[in-house]
Amino acid sequence: MTLFVLKRTGGALLVLLTLSVIVYALFYLAPGDPARLACGERCNPAQIAQVREQLGLNDSAPTQYLHFLQGLLAGRDHSGGAGLVLHCDAPCLGFSYQNDQQVTELILDRLPATLSLALGALVIWLVVGVGTGLLSALRRGGITERALTVLTLAGTGTPVFILGLLLLMTVCAHLQWLPFPTYVPLSEDPEQWAWNLLLPWVTLGFFESAKYARLTRSSTLETLAEDHIRTFRAYGVGERAVVTRHAVRGAVAPVIALSAVDFGTMIGGAVLTESLFGIPGLGKTLIDGVRVVDLPVVVGVVLTIGTAVVLAGAIADLLYAAADRRVTLA
Amino acid sequence: MSSAGPARHLTARRVAAVTVSLVLAGGAAACGPKDGADKAGSGAKPGAAGGAPQKGGTLSVLNSEPQSDFDPARLYTSGGGNVPSLVFRTLTTRNREDGPAGTKVVPDLATDTGKPNADATEWTYTLKDGLKYEDGSPITTADIKYGIERSFAAELSGGAPYLRDWLVGGESYEGPYKDGGKGLDSILVPDAKTIVFKLRKPEGEFPFVATQTQFAPVPRAKDTGVTYEEHPVSSGPYKVVKNDNDGEHLTLERNEHWDEKTDEERKAYPDRIDVRSGLDAAVINQRLTTSSGPDAAAVTTDTNLGPAELARIGDSADKNELAGRVGTGHFGYVNYLAFNPKVAPFDNPKVRQAISYAINRTSVVNAAGGSALAEPATTFLPEREAFGFTPYDHFPAGKTGDPAKAKQLLAEAGFPDGVTVTLTHSTAQNRQTSPEVATAVQQALAAAGITVKLEGLENNAFNEKRWDVKNTPGFFLSRWGADWPSGAPFLAPIFDGRQIVTNGSNYNHAQLNDPAVNAEIDEIAKLTDLAAAGKRWGALDKKIGEQALAVPLFHPVYKRLVGKDVKNVVISDWTGVLDVSQVSVK
Repeated sequence: MTLFVLKRTGGALLVLLTLSVIVYALFYLAPGDPARLACGERCNPAQIAQVREQLGLNDSAPTQYLHFLQGLLAGRDHSGGAGLVLHCDAPCLGFSYQNDQQVTELILDRLPATLSLALGALVIWLVVGVGTGLLSALRRGGITERALTVLTLAGTGTPVFILGLLLLMTVCAHLQWLPFPTYVPLSEDPEQWAWNLLLPWVTLGFFESAKYARLTRSSTLETLAEDHIRTFRAYGVGERAVVTRHAVRGAVAPVIALSAVDFGTMIGGAVLTESLFGIPGLGKTLIDGVRVVDLPVVVGVVLTIGTAVVLAGAIADLLYAAADRRVTLA
Repeated sequence: MSSAGPARHLTARRVAAVTVSLVLAGGAAACGPKDGADKAGSGAKPGAAGGAPQKGGTLSVLNSEPQSDFDPARLYTSGGGNVPSLVFRTLTTRNREDGPAGTKVVPDLATDTGKPNADATEWTYTLKDGLKYEDGSPITTADIKYGIERSFAAELSGGAPYLRDWLVGGESYEGPYKDGGKGLDSILVPDAKTIVFKLRKPEGEFPFVATQTQFAPVPRAKDTGVTYEEHPVSSGPYKVVKNDNDGEHLTLERNEHWDEKTDEERKAYPDRIDVRSGLDAAVINQRLTTSSGPDAAAVTTDTNLGPAELARIGDSADKNELAGRVGTGHFGYVNYLAFNPKVAPFDNPKVRQAISYAINRTSVVNAAGGSALAEPATTFLPEREAFGFTPYDHFPAGKTGDPAKAKQLLAEAGFPDGVTVTLTHSTAQNRQTSPEVATAVQQALAAAGITVKLEGLENNAFNEKRWDVKNTPGFFLSRWGADWPSGAPFLAPIFDGRQIVTNGSNYNHAQLNDPAVNAEIDEIAKLTDLAAAGKRWGALDKKIGEQALAVPLFHPVYKRLVGKDVKNVVISDWTGVLDVSQVSVK
């Protein structure tokens, strides 16, 4: 176990370091002068030069990268005007050109919204997706299975933004069962938080559920066909016990592991849903950062997403091992 | 607002917008609005019904772009924008009336629009009595001077450039954080009520510049540098009580120390203003259409209706009700084909003229969203008196182009078998410099024997290329918006040879440096009689137009929905959009 943690940590650090180098390299190849964008369209050359100096853009790319690493390890200072020195404690991801905010703060501000969205979707896809998959496998060949197959096909084939818009138009616009969602932080009003996230959860959850239904179905069918299940049946163990005690456990192991990975990916990958429902999350922040060439934001968010994915991978391995004792960690 | 486009969409939003449009339109072709919407645009005034406006209630603002800069030094929006103008008062402001009357500049914190000296190089303002900040402390001219000075700081960049260019010493001033308390000598405050500006050259339109948020007072003791935007000190009818996620969610409430007797312009009816941003454009329009719950008292200050949405309004069962809630506005803006006459074959005036004759403005207008969203243009200046509009059409292409005349001119230019050129455009889906407009140009020119190759660039790359004087393409789509309703901010940046910027952003695409044009710009700038100045701007536009240095394509029209309970909708020709300071929700 210790070896597993050490190996994983070392590997994760290497991945994140490589990721940051790649983002820096891509940034310097991308069009758009960050100083000009930060300065405004009609800045004169002298002003652009001042802004460039203030943002440290006159340094070479490797120097800027080293400053970034220095900030991560030891923190950095930034001039905020009016005699204000803004200190950013280690691990400092830098200051946003456009938001005048520490990137770490910015990410911490936006993370709860993304986590809220991803958590709700996770619950939906685990309950609906896995439930549907199990039902479909156990009712193989029947009309229920065929109906569920159609539903899952529709789910996987419907893009999130189409489903989201359809839900908005029917549930909010025409039927007026729910108001148009507006993100309310959990800390502000838990009830409103849930009501306002209901449609985004359903949208994202339904889309993912379809995938999980298919995966659970095939995994369950595979497990049900394994020798040990046949042996249990031969010994006269009841079908209900075979399914619930033995088959399901083996079938859901890969589902749980994949869920952890998908949840990690969703930290940065729910851009469409965030954009459609106006959820101020990380995905949207990343897109905005790319658009206005805000390197510290882009690097910070990419590293956060990278960390989430790496962590999710490790958790997936642990969950897989816990669910299926045939798996060992090394 | 310079040439910045009002809408910046994400790809996801574009896809979503197209999708919702298709679903909403129910198969209607995207060919502009039908009767209902058109009627709304041609006379109906939204928010007019339902009794007199009253104080109280909460106004919701549903926006796409967050109000990320809430610092008066950093804002660059015509006349202080919409929401910022509720918090920041300035020396002068825009007249908050519908249509042409709204293009006038009127006093705000000052008692008048400014007293010039004989040659308009010095402007003096006196503050009204009884002006207070949200904490009850008095507003002084020293605070206005400080507010302007801090707009020069690199930390607070982004605001309008005029003061750097106009104030004596402005070009080298680096702001109060670096000047050791010295300040800018060209702004004098002989007493707490008087402020004097010394300019490098005559500027008859200084009162317009004094509407910009850089002229809002900032008390030095309350300045917190780049974090000031989180809670700027209000001098207007509302104060900021909440600013989440860098302007994504703003809550404004009444400033008890604002005295309406000192402010003739802002009506400030609602008790509370709730600004939500980061919303998809299609969702904003759907919410305003449905107008249920709090959305009945909602407006948007940045999201237009698209052609399919307008078509849907025209087709809907309740089209009269919906059309009655569509506000139509005109902002001083022109979309045009730009030439770089230093690049062949555009160095030949006959080639430029041929293209001017060949253009099919009907197909361009359709590509821009249809006649409800774009008006064909043959002049550079918008068709509004305040801009000095003087009609002309030097190369009459009719509605659909004159390919025969274009071919004749091409032959005279030495291209009897036609010519191949490249048109550079942006890939941003803005219906202005975007691929659909470029394609419309390409098709029109093909009829005249001009083969157009399209070069689409990512928007940042496109802007950098068109503004880089060393790298300006020969032929490209461009656009320009006015910082205030006059010919000056239209013609000077585009055609004044002394404004050609060699190592920054250059907007004089044609690189015209004609001493006669430059001299006329200087002469008009001396005029403080704005009506007289307008006539001369119009004449100058007509004169420059003869050189075919640009092909005006269209002036955009803004169409926006308001909620059912919104009253007193005012849309001036200054901003072209609803003025939130006038809206009532009760």
